[in-house]
Amino acid sequence: MTKDLFSRPVQRRTMLKAGLAIGAIQVASPFVISALADEPLRIGVDEPLTGTYAAVGKNEVLGCQLAVDELNAKNGILGRKIEMLSEDSTSGDAGTAVQKARKLIERDNVNFLVGNVNSALSQAMAQVSNEKGILHVVPGGHTDPITGTDCKWNVFRVCNTTRMEANAVSDLLFKTYGKRWHFITPDYAFGHTLFQGCEADLKKLGGTVTGNELTPLGTTDFSAYLIKARTANPDVLVVLVQGNDMVNCLKQISQFGIDKQIHVAGTQQELESVEAMPPEARVGVWMFEWYWKQAAGTPGLDQFIAEVRKRTGGKVPTARNWFGYVTVHSYALACEKAKTIDAKKVAAALGDMELPPEIKLQPNKVYFRAGDHQLMLSAFIGELLKQGDGDPENLFKVNSIVAGDSIAPSVEETGCKMQMPA
Amino acid sequence: MLELIFFNVTNGLIVGAFYALMAIGLSLILNLSGVINFAHGGFLVIGGYLAYALTPYLGFWGALLVSPFLTALIGFVIERLLIRRLYGRDPLYSLLLTFGLAFIIEDGTRQIWGANGLPVSVPETLMTSLSSKFFFITGYRMFMVATVAVVVGLLFVLLRYTRIGIRIRAGTLDLETVAALGVNVRALRSLNFAVGIFLAGLAGVLAGGQLGLEPTMGDNLLMPSFIAIIVGGVGSLTGTLIGGLLIGVASGLTAVFFPSASEAVIYVLMAVVLLIRPRGLLGEEGMLT
Repeated sequence: MTKDLFSRPVQRRTMLKAGLAIGAIQVASPFVISALADEPLRIGVDEPLTGTYAAVGKNEVLGCQLAVDELNAKNGILGRKIEMLSEDSTSGDAGTAVQKARKLIERDNVNFLVGNVNSALSQAMAQVSNEKGILHVVPGGHTDPITGTDCKWNVFRVCNTTRMEANAVSDLLFKTYGKRWHFITPDYAFGHTLFQGCEADLKKLGGTVTGNELTPLGTTDFSAYLIKARTANPDVLVVLVQGNDMVNCLKQISQFGIDKQIHVAGTQQELESVEAMPPEARVGVWMFEWYWKQAAGTPGLDQFIAEVRKRTGGKVPTARNWFGYVTVHSYALACEKAKTIDAKKVAAALGDMELPPEIKLQPNKVYFRAGDHQLMLSAFIGELLKQGDGDPENLFKVNSIVAGDSIAPSVEETGCKMQMPA
Repeated sequence: MLELIFFNVTNGLIVGAFYALMAIGLSLILNLSGVINFAHGGFLVIGGYLAYALTPYLGFWGALLVSPFLTALIGFVIERLLIRRLYGRDPLYSLLLTFGLAFIIEDGTRQIWGANGLPVSVPETLMTSLSSKFFFITGYRMFMVATVAVVVGLLFVLLRYTRIGIRIRAGTLDLETVAALGVNVRALRSLNFAVGIFLAGLAGVLAGGQLGLEPTMGDNLLMPSFIAIIVGGVGSLTGTLIGGLLIGVASGLTAVFFPSASEAVIYVLMAVVLLIRPRGLLGEEGMLT
């Protein structure tokens, strides 16, 4: 009886059983681990689903989902199915975006992180993904430092940089319209870098900046700024604000008849904004990062348009859909090329990787530059149409498609000094 | 420079008239019911979207007339079902409720009409500018100011000369006595709420034509309304009207010299008013207790 109260000396039989078990595990482990290959790959998408950027954020997520479904229909990545986890980063709260990114990486064990639309949130998330060594592609945040002074070995970007945007249109505007430019700029990181790019280009060409109106994000009434712009009497009114600010600004520009006295132009335009404008507000020369209406015979384009129409209830794809689509497909292609999902090897494979025709959906060579991890996507430059040219869905007339690497600053100019991991 | 200032002051008055419309509705509800209606911006959104939905059937003018009434009806129902239960409690409760309501309305709108903005076309007759010089005084903006003037005028007449109006004003001062005198205070509060929401709905229809519709449009217009009430004086409708115009002009003037501060200046104005004359320009002491 007393013997039961104290720990019994270990019996020899127990020792033998334990030893056998340990030995069996050593031998059996490869069989256990290989079962993991049947586990799905996880992609974490941390995009704004509420707030100002909800519309563009949801479109990017749609593009990602479409790519995931296409890949899963064809054997996934390296034989593994893909599971996509979507979180709401909110449109402006970096804290939430980072918290969601951490959750995706630490709790949900995603192999690949996607996000964001908001430049500041993208940068915040990049800190997390870099800390954790997870491959991260930014589909829609434009500020230069993401692939510039703040570049990281695990971070890639699909949409263009603010410098590329400025370079895309500056030449054209200067030659066609004149040398005195007045700017309406959103007062945050994106706007500032965009203006700096335009100002630098304009000075190089020999033009002058007649004024720069810094407008707080979310400004609904641009009349004060337009009054000033009108008084300055420039050749070109360059509208750099985006999203709803863009819609309001253009509406007021057309209401005030300013477009009849001054040429209106800008560096970036999005179909989401254009769809929210009444026809009379569709004025000016702009650049789209991707546009759906292209020359017949562009490989993969018709199918992409049809698929997006199915998922959006009939709407044509926007550049944001394309960003999401390219993001996921690029990851898949890089994994296949590297024959592994190890982040460092995939990152190495992604640098200098050229997109095949059915993914790039445009003429010109489209590839990720190894030096700064920036995708060299083309710029679609043209004019907004008040009346569709016989096609009521076509709101933009593309005049030229300029190759990305011809408008991108060199890697040295971006200030990127990529630190590859050991 | 003088011309620039003159333009901006005029423009500020136009913008201020719009803020005043929102603020007066808020103020009505605050005065009688003691409810801080954070969902006021949400009702603005409902008003705008309903007008958008009705325009194909009723045209712009029809939608303009009908939508505010529909919005007021929705407001009436919400008051009856939800807000009524929180009267007499700490204002924090109603603030939390209306705050939650604001989110529900915003996301509900997003679910029904999509996250993207919707284009709103304004009738041709209102599109022209007053003149080349005064290009920013478009027909539509003049129409907006005129509408606000008419509606606010009618409201003041209602409050001054009709029985209901007198009861509302009396209720603002001393609701218990009014109830003791045999007035159905519950119905009065519901009606008052509906009137406030009517103004929000109307603001939504007008804003739609000016700014276009999207689910978050209420947020930017709500804060200036609160500030207009504080600056003009809690408890005084005339004060709120003046407050709205004042912050509109202040914002416009600042845009001439320091554009990046044009949004912040209304908060600075509020801070100044609270420091120097806490009750606001025309407010009465101790109104917000």
